[in-house]
Amino acid sequence: MTWLSRLIPGAHPPVQLAPEIRARLDAWRKLPETALTSQHAETRYVIVNTEASGLDLSKDRLLSVAAIAIEGGLIDPKLAFYQSLEPDPADALTGLLEFIGNSPIVVFNAGFNKRVILNAIERVLDVEPELHCIDLYWLLPALFAERGQSASKLTDWMNALRIETFQRHHALGDGYAIAQLFLATQARGRLLGHSTPQALIELEHARQRLKRPL
Amino acid sequence: MTTATETLVGASADFLKRFSPFDQMEPEALDYLSERVLLGFFSKGATILSAEMGQPRHFYIIQRGKVQASQSGDVALTEYASMTLGPGECFPIGAISAGRPSTNTYMALEDSFCFQLPADDFMALMRISPVFHVFCTQYIASLLSQSRQQLQSTFSQRAAEQQTMTTPLGHLIKRDPIFVTPDTSTRSALEKMNEMRIGCMVVADADARPVGILTQSDLLSRIVLPAFDLSRPISDVMTPAPQVLQMTATAYDAALEMATHARRHLLVVDSDDKLRGVVSERDLFSLQRIGLRQIRASIEGADDIESLQHASRDIRQLALNLIAQGIGSEQLTRFISALNDALTRRIITLELGRHELFGVQFCWLAFGSEGRHEQTLSTDQDNGIIFSAPEGERDAIKQKLLAFAKDANDALAACGFPLCKGNIMASNPELCLTLEEWKRRFGAWIREPDPQALLNASIFFDFRVLFGSEKIGDQLRRWLLETARGNSTFLRMMAQNALAVAPPLGRFRDFVVEDDGMIDLKKSGARLFVDVARILSLRSGVEASSTVGRLRQSGQRANMAEEELDAITDGFHFIQLLRLRSQHLDTEHDAPGDNKIDPDTLNELDRRILKEAFRQARKLQLRLKLDYQL
Repeated sequence: MTWLSRLIPGAHPPVQLAPEIRARLDAWRKLPETALTSQHAETRYVIVNTEASGLDLSKDRLLSVAAIAIEGGLIDPKLAFYQSLEPDPADALTGLLEFIGNSPIVVFNAGFNKRVILNAIERVLDVEPELHCIDLYWLLPALFAERGQSASKLTDWMNALRIETFQRHHALGDGYAIAQLFLATQARGRLLGHSTPQALIELEHARQRLKRPL
Repeated sequence: MTTATETLVGASADFLKRFSPFDQMEPEALDYLSERVLLGFFSKGATILSAEMGQPRHFYIIQRGKVQASQSGDVALTEYASMTLGPGECFPIGAISAGRPSTNTYMALEDSFCFQLPADDFMALMRISPVFHVFCTQYIASLLSQSRQQLQSTFSQRAAEQQTMTTPLGHLIKRDPIFVTPDTSTRSALEKMNEMRIGCMVVADADARPVGILTQSDLLSRIVLPAFDLSRPISDVMTPAPQVLQMTATAYDAALEMATHARRHLLVVDSDDKLRGVVSERDLFSLQRIGLRQIRASIEGADDIESLQHASRDIRQLALNLIAQGIGSEQLTRFISALNDALTRRIITLELGRHELFGVQFCWLAFGSEGRHEQTLSTDQDNGIIFSAPEGERDAIKQKLLAFAKDANDALAACGFPLCKGNIMASNPELCLTLEEWKRRFGAWIREPDPQALLNASIFFDFRVLFGSEKIGDQLRRWLLETARGNSTFLRMMAQNALAVAPPLGRFRDFVVEDDGMIDLKKSGARLFVDVARILSLRSGVEASSTVGRLRQSGQRANMAEEELDAITDGFHFIQLLRLRSQHLDTEHDAPGDNKIDPDTLNELDRRILKEAFRQARKLQLRLKLDYQL
């Protein structure tokens, strides 16, 4: 699996990008592939979260993106990103890609979050990046079975692990809650022997297969 | 700062502001903190910090969850063996400010989130924020008081008695004050004394402010024998300007006053200086059989060396009792000093009776720790004489003084003050000098501060008049302060000398010990404070001779924060207390007291405080270093 994104000849008309944006995207593409086998403490993870006008992928628009990096198992407020798509969606999304760099990303409910971001990136930047994605929606029940039998929504998990944030339903506010959930995930994963990004991804996939109707 | 960072920083600040001391913190300090804290997570049962992890890299503030602090080692040393910390509480304070491994183990009792501040940022925050600084230093002070409490419980059988000696005098007053005005006739004042069955009569003005006192013991010499006319006003026969103490002063203070000034009654006044009552020695003795006054009386009444030797043993015993009761080192050394002064004065008085020195103007000086009122139980005598003599008679008078001093030194030695090995004694012709000669000698040390001169200065500049003309001593003091103050080279050399010994703090181990595994609490403990204090006092013209007095007065002049000064003096007192305690324990085993201590025999709490105390010494030295660019 290659980290480098590829350009997909889209159905839509070719996107006109400012030369400055192009240069930034090129630089981003040249990043080396990340190792998924390093320990959590040596891995930079990036929590990604979005705010959209609604929950319908076909008609709702992405409003803003937020990202929080986790390095050495710690949340550092200096390593955070937040931007509205307006007035310059290309700049916002390029900024997000740059902030993510080559790190594995962590989302809650990737089915929606990941899709909405990728759609926007594809539409605006004409790029389809391949991101290593860890979805806490699947991972948390696998790691905290005793806590969240009935938990599925972000609110449920925040209550189960007694996590608070400064503002709900805001890309960065919820992102901060997800980041704290991920700190707990790392610690728990380490205890149970899932101590690398690769191991978390595998655990998540196993869980998805288990739950998905055959 | 990006918008996202600002938002997250704001969220941390909002959280921190809900807790003390962060709610009191200066806005810019809170910003500094919120920008730098990292959020981490610890699973239930995880060890967050322990001694094995070495010097802590972070200061932790619990954001959510519970953390248990438990003491390493097998004995519970503070009130808590383990303590649970919750949101807003922080750790480790002592360890991180001292840069040494934590003595507690911190474990997450449940899944917990902690804000973590890197150690360097913690130190910077202490500098930026006075509020945070106070918070951390008070924490150290609270350790000190825990240690004192612990000491008391070690000697628990005495703890109950001890408590009563800290009673405020206001609580000891048994009845409304009885007094007469100055124009009252002596007869009616005496009648009133008789009627009320009181041992003394207070004379106060119309506003009830005391102006004099007449006690029973004055009656014979002032009234009966001279056949004093009883119709005359009592103001003609009273002792004016009587000793007063505030209501808030403690029984200890009163006992000390009585011992120092040989009084049997003390007047207690309120904050308005109005008479509120009289406290007698009997009131104090009914609290506790200290025997302070008895010792004092036995010294005053002693006619020979033998009875003084007895008094000297009593002083020692008293000091041991007081240590056992957990009395602080400051009061303790003042007690010892006051009684030793009385003993020395009595010895001098007795020796004067056997030597023909009538009309000779002189004063007896105490040097070194005695000069600073900081004697411990094993202090050599360090003394000297200033005298004045008309031209031509100087040599003859000096010979007489030397003969007298020789006997006084021997008598002091017989009473438990060992002869000085370095011959710093009044019987040494080099130390029995006129005022001019002393000035020349001090002046030479100041002008040419070679190592020997600096050593001499550190002993002799701490002089105090113990007997005789205070005036000569004051003259020498004023001259010294003026001369030293104007000589920055000398002060700089003194500073260099004072910095030659560093506090025995180890980088890897708690303490750096000497070859025998011991720490010398005098040489590498108390002296660090004493030396810096001397320089500060010389530099700022402070006349106080005690180390704490010097630090306080010169610190105030230099605008040092009150809390900072408290922390420093607490550190000094703790080291002095350890010295006294080790001497105390040694003496009970009949070994000569010395100043060495094996840090491994200290309990965990005392080790912690000792480290903090040394750290305060280091801070004090650093200040000097910066001042003189050394």
